[in-house]
Amino acid sequence: MNIIFLILSHWLIVLTLSPLFLGIISKVKAFFAGKKGPSFFQPYFDLQRLFQKNSVYSRTTTWIFCAAPIINLAAVLVLSALVPLGTFKAPVKFSGDILLAAYILGFARFFMISAALDTGSSFEGMGASREAFFSCLSELALFMNFITLSFVSHSISLSAMIGANFPLSWTLMGPVLLLVVGSFFIVILTENARIPIDDPDTHLELTMIHEVMILDHSGVDLGYMLYAAAIKFFVFASIMVPIIVPVQSGNTAWDMLIFLGGMLVLSVTVGIIESTMARLRLNRVNNLLLIAFALAFFGFVVKMWRM
Amino acid sequence: MNLLLISLSILTISSLLIFLFCRSRKTSAYLFLWSLVAACGFGLWSVLSVLCQKELFLPLTGLDFRLSGHLPLFEFYIGIDFLSAFFLLLFFIVSLSAGIYAYGYLREYTGQRNVGVHLALYHLLMIVIILVLVAKNAVLFLAAWELMTVVSYFLITFYNESEQVRKAGYIYLIATHVGVFCLVLMFLIMGVKAGSMNFDQMRATPFPLGLASLLFMLAFIGFGIKAGFMPFHIWLPYAHPAAPSYISALLSGVVIKVGIYGLMRAMAIVKDFPLWCGVLLLIMAAVSGVGGVLYALGQHEIKKLLAYHSIENIGIIALGLGIGMIGHAYHQDTVALLGYAAALLHTFNHAIFKGLLFLSAGSVIHSTHTGDMEHMGGLFKRLPWSGHLFLIGSLSICGLPLFNGFISEWLVFRSLLEGVFHFDIFGIIFSSMAIVALSLIGGLAALCFAKAFGVIFLGNNRSSEEHHYQEGDLIMRGPMILLAVICLWVGLFPANMVYYAFQGTQAATGMLIPDVLIEAIIGPLLMVTKVISFGGLIFVGLSLLRKFLILGYPMKLTETWVCGYANVTARMQYTSSSFAKPILKIFRTILYFKIETVRPKGYFPVQARLSSSVKDVSEYLLFRPIFFIIKRFSRRFKWIQSGHTQIYILYILFFLFVLLAWKLH
Repeated sequence: MNIIFLILSHWLIVLTLSPLFLGIISKVKAFFAGKKGPSFFQPYFDLQRLFQKNSVYSRTTTWIFCAAPIINLAAVLVLSALVPLGTFKAPVKFSGDILLAAYILGFARFFMISAALDTGSSFEGMGASREAFFSCLSELALFMNFITLSFVSHSISLSAMIGANFPLSWTLMGPVLLLVVGSFFIVILTENARIPIDDPDTHLELTMIHEVMILDHSGVDLGYMLYAAAIKFFVFASIMVPIIVPVQSGNTAWDMLIFLGGMLVLSVTVGIIESTMARLRLNRVNNLLLIAFALAFFGFVVKMWRM
Repeated sequence: MNLLLISLSILTISSLLIFLFCRSRKTSAYLFLWSLVAACGFGLWSVLSVLCQKELFLPLTGLDFRLSGHLPLFEFYIGIDFLSAFFLLLFFIVSLSAGIYAYGYLREYTGQRNVGVHLALYHLLMIVIILVLVAKNAVLFLAAWELMTVVSYFLITFYNESEQVRKAGYIYLIATHVGVFCLVLMFLIMGVKAGSMNFDQMRATPFPLGLASLLFMLAFIGFGIKAGFMPFHIWLPYAHPAAPSYISALLSGVVIKVGIYGLMRAMAIVKDFPLWCGVLLLIMAAVSGVGGVLYALGQHEIKKLLAYHSIENIGIIALGLGIGMIGHAYHQDTVALLGYAAALLHTFNHAIFKGLLFLSAGSVIHSTHTGDMEHMGGLFKRLPWSGHLFLIGSLSICGLPLFNGFISEWLVFRSLLEGVFHFDIFGIIFSSMAIVALSLIGGLAALCFAKAFGVIFLGNNRSSEEHHYQEGDLIMRGPMILLAVICLWVGLFPANMVYYAFQGTQAATGMLIPDVLIEAIIGPLLMVTKVISFGGLIFVGLSLLRKFLILGYPMKLTETWVCGYANVTARMQYTSSSFAKPILKIFRTILYFKIETVRPKGYFPVQARLSSSVKDVSEYLLFRPIFFIIKRFSRRFKWIQSGHTQIYILYILFFLFVLLAWKLH
């Protein structure tokens, strides 16, 4: 009974807080554009609006198309149960859960790509192809980061690798962690379809990756997709923040504040990057992703050298 | 053992009977089906009672059976240990499914070919594969191995009126014969050192490290050609598309696994290898894995795509074997045991899901009459059974959770990560590179199967002709459903199979497996399956929520949104080549693209054409030049081959005479 309570409370945090950070990012972008911008809570309103709408389906599609948003949301929810949120320990942890985390993402992606191909539109096929391509490379960088982190912490569980149980010490492992953080940041931008890899805002189908894949989804389905995207960003950020700020005061409230502060800073950073940079040309994106891999790889080399 | 002998004798008698009654199609088909079911039933019974170490209903009378004859070196000596039993398990499951499917497939066959002989050969192939897996005498092993090659050649060339099929069979025959040469040499060296051709004595003999390296190289080439490691794989992409689908399933599910079995048997005999052998295997595994999946991405033909995926999966299996060997050389038993067990489990899983994929691809080809993915699309609605079964197979082969592929890939990852924790710096470099290779393989495989599934089954139909699509009946669907259920069963309840894999490892390495280790592996795996089932619950909950939210709204159906363009045709969809283009482009330095274009000319261009294909580097840049040289060289000895039988008999007599003179001297 206890574990179910833990998971539910974990989800409560994830579900309530995650859209907020998307709101923060767009607020930052509006600020840089010299606009007032939508409210911080705009993503919540969007979700509410979408959940009240009816969906339209293409005649070409099959059940895969309807199932993909549900699978996507279910996958990120399962993923969030494996990740500690600041002082809240992950309700599910076991040796090797990083592999499960990576494969759950893969499972969701498989269905996302299939759903895009299900519409039979060449736009969505194009988006699917690009998504598959870039995620392949970013998965490589993600795994390299995981190897380095597990090598540093001598554990293959997310909960032990990051956050409360194992304060990663920057004084000892500074260079390694710096490289990992740099690499992981690029992975976050890729996995969450942000600039400079992808543009979450434009409506030009030809330039987009993630947005064009969900072009045909509407109503509840689109709402699920949007919610899943928000949670995914939240989960990735909460993996990264404890690595950067391994501070532990012992006081739960303080630690939670530090964690949320870190999340805030991270979202603002993403917002600033989106405001000051343009999207990379498509044939340059793979270079960026290979850089992410190279950074993680060098982190590993440094760690091995320090051994 | 007696149960396995019953199964063997059923197969022998029935193959003879089918051969006798091959004129009557109906009789031979019925004979085939029922003897197949009976033989596989007895076989599975015996294998399971060995694996469970229990007497299931009938007493187990010994695990060995030997008939001593008067032939020198040869002895009919067979026996089941856990390693054999593990491979027999996958063999019986796959051959049962492929056989029933073959019955369903050939029932409607109305062509001129002699189906009876084909079915008899199927049973003969089963007999020799069983013999290879249980042989405890090297000569028996080699004889059965050689027969396996020849019989499978005849099965591959069923459609022998096509030039392409004959060529494929020829390549298969030649490639695998090169391997036999290495194997004969290897067993001779082992036999001379041990003083006996029996595996038991060989196993009891210590081999010095230098000799062990030589034996490893011979085993690697000999068995590697059969298993399809990357530079030696050229027969696979030819043989699989040429053969009927059920034979492809058997080839990919079982025959190439027999190569892995041979490699493990050789490891069990030699025991200690120098470190570099493991490292070499690991590197070749990574090359096969990444190379296989990249070539698979470049294919338009389903069965060729699946054939390259077999190479990829052999790579994954060999990653486990390689890390096991390195662990053994470092005396890190945990890593070694984990690596071998992971490799064994992936062997089983690959046999199951690859069988499923080949059979369902076969149903698609059966009803569309083409294997070219660019002419398919939208089949999910027309062939729902094949579509769903192919989807299950795809999810399994990508190693995605819920299905069996995930369990074994997870174990391979675990063993590699243990390698990172337990080795010295040299070992860490290789095991971490193997992890990177495996994650790349995983990502690319998911991409490739999302492409294959999406292009074949989703979207609109690209075919220009209107086909009358017809799904196979229950006798063709049944075997596929069986395989799909096993995929799901192992994915959700992995404990039994993991335990059997560890038993197989124990037989192969002779090391005792501590219970702590098994618990340390099965514990997290059970957690994984719990999390996955939990995810399933969430899925159900979210779908109910969605149902609730759209309650009361009518379902609106319309066309796909293509930004206002109205005149959309199916040919405008993304094709499999265009889907794979970006990723293949960044690997173009190691792939060999062949692009043919006819550019549009003039103000009113009439035609333009572009075709691109990915050619196999090792075939075009390695084997073709080598074979060319060999051909030129061997032309000089053409005068020996006169073509007259009398002359050949004279040769034989001459050599017998020389041998006699040598022996008497």
